[in-house]
Amino acid sequence: MPSEPVLALLLCSGAAASATALGALPFALGRPPGRALVGLADALAGGLMLGAAYLLVGKGLDRGVGLVLAGAAAGVVYTWWIRRYAGLQELDEGTVAASERGYKLILQVGLHSAAEGVAMGVALVLDLRLGIFLALALAIHNVGEGVSLADALVGGGVAPGQAAGLCVAAKVSQPLLALALFALAPALAPVLPAMLGFAAGSLLFLVLTELVPDAYERAPALGVALALGATAAGVVLLEALLL
Amino acid sequence: MNAHEILVVLGYGVLSAVATGLGALPFLFLRTLDPRMLAVANSIASGLMLGASFGLLREGAHFGTPQTVVGAALGVAFILLGEKVLEDREVSFGELSGAGAKRILLLLAVMTLHSFSEGVAVGVAFGGGATLGTLIALAIAVHNIPEGLAISAVMRPQGSSVLACAGWSIFSSLPQPLMAVPAFLFVEAFRPVLPYGLGFAAGAMVFMVFLELLPEAYRNTSRSAVALWVSVTLGAMILLQRFL
Repeated sequence: MPSEPVLALLLCSGAAASATALGALPFALGRPPGRALVGLADALAGGLMLGAAYLLVGKGLDRGVGLVLAGAAAGVVYTWWIRRYAGLQELDEGTVAASERGYKLILQVGLHSAAEGVAMGVALVLDLRLGIFLALALAIHNVGEGVSLADALVGGGVAPGQAAGLCVAAKVSQPLLALALFALAPALAPVLPAMLGFAAGSLLFLVLTELVPDAYERAPALGVALALGATAAGVVLLEALLL
Repeated sequence: MNAHEILVVLGYGVLSAVATGLGALPFLFLRTLDPRMLAVANSIASGLMLGASFGLLREGAHFGTPQTVVGAALGVAFILLGEKVLEDREVSFGELSGAGAKRILLLLAVMTLHSFSEGVAVGVAFGGGATLGTLIALAIAVHNIPEGLAISAVMRPQGSSVLACAGWSIFSSLPQPLMAVPAFLFVEAFRPVLPYGLGFAAGAMVFMVFLELLPEAYRNTSRSAVALWVSVTLGAMILLQRFL
């Protein structure tokens, strides 16, 4: 394995995970970010991830339909299970005690981060540029997640510095899994379509259950629609130019 | 190029227009029109429209990416302008009125306008040979069924009859046979317009999904339900485009 892609992978995935800590920064400065801004960041990341999911599933279908479908179904079920397991339905409905919010969110962020790591790794295996692009999209998503998490933690009495640490810790599986997947790529080649499907399914479901509805709740629908539409369509068009 | 060829092109155009009406059929078996069904119908329409739009964008990029982008921006502007124009007006659509009627009107306008580019696509394809043309025409006919489903999924929960859903679905595709013939006769003149038209339809549909359909869906049912229906229909649309 040439060392350069590994370095790129480490830098990208490490930077993306570290970006989560940025979410805690405004709280350390004593200036919580405006809801609309966080909503627009959600929409931006959501559109990028939606476009990335579309590209990944297309790359998978070039290689094998059945495996892609099985992988995509697994990705959807995994992400759906996270919502149940972490009790996110109740979190949306606001029936969760403030002290429990932080704990539930760490659980959610940590479990999502695993699927995101798989997606990042599989994208990097496929094409270095696609991987870097997905890492960028996930970094934006991580900042948004960091804000929600830090908000809940600081609201529950955790110091902002510790909250920043917890944010990054919750995301640590992202670079680790991306790296592991990349290292194992030659051995995993036969199931690559399934992993592409898994990446696409979990990204799509994550976007549709978290990022998009969160964005609508936080920012005006017009701004959200423009951000989502422009980024998703932009990524789909980018493929025609780049890949 | 003779009269027979022109008739063949026209025939395939008509066939693909009528196929759009088939999309209304599932609503024969669904009678209740509660808010949850509205949310599910919105989610189905969203998945189908997103899938269709992504396909249109790729197709457009084939003919020219900058033109496609300009077309998409025009599509977004069209929806914004349309909503502005309709904002202070009393709109009635058959027996319907209010916000629902406005949305139906805009959706039908977009779908009908986008059929112009599909018709041009059919005609241009026939210009490249009868085999290619037949293939593209059949593919567009099959794509039209979910488009009719998307239109019906917006119209039916607002109270339109199944017959009206089918009729307006077919109407939205009538530009296909009308445009296919001139596009076939004057292929070289029509080809440059194609990416603008494809981009326009994609931009308008994506924007409508994110501005109108999805927010309403999330208000009326759980996040998981919306996500599941959108994922399944988007996936089906991707497969359809891939293998036809």
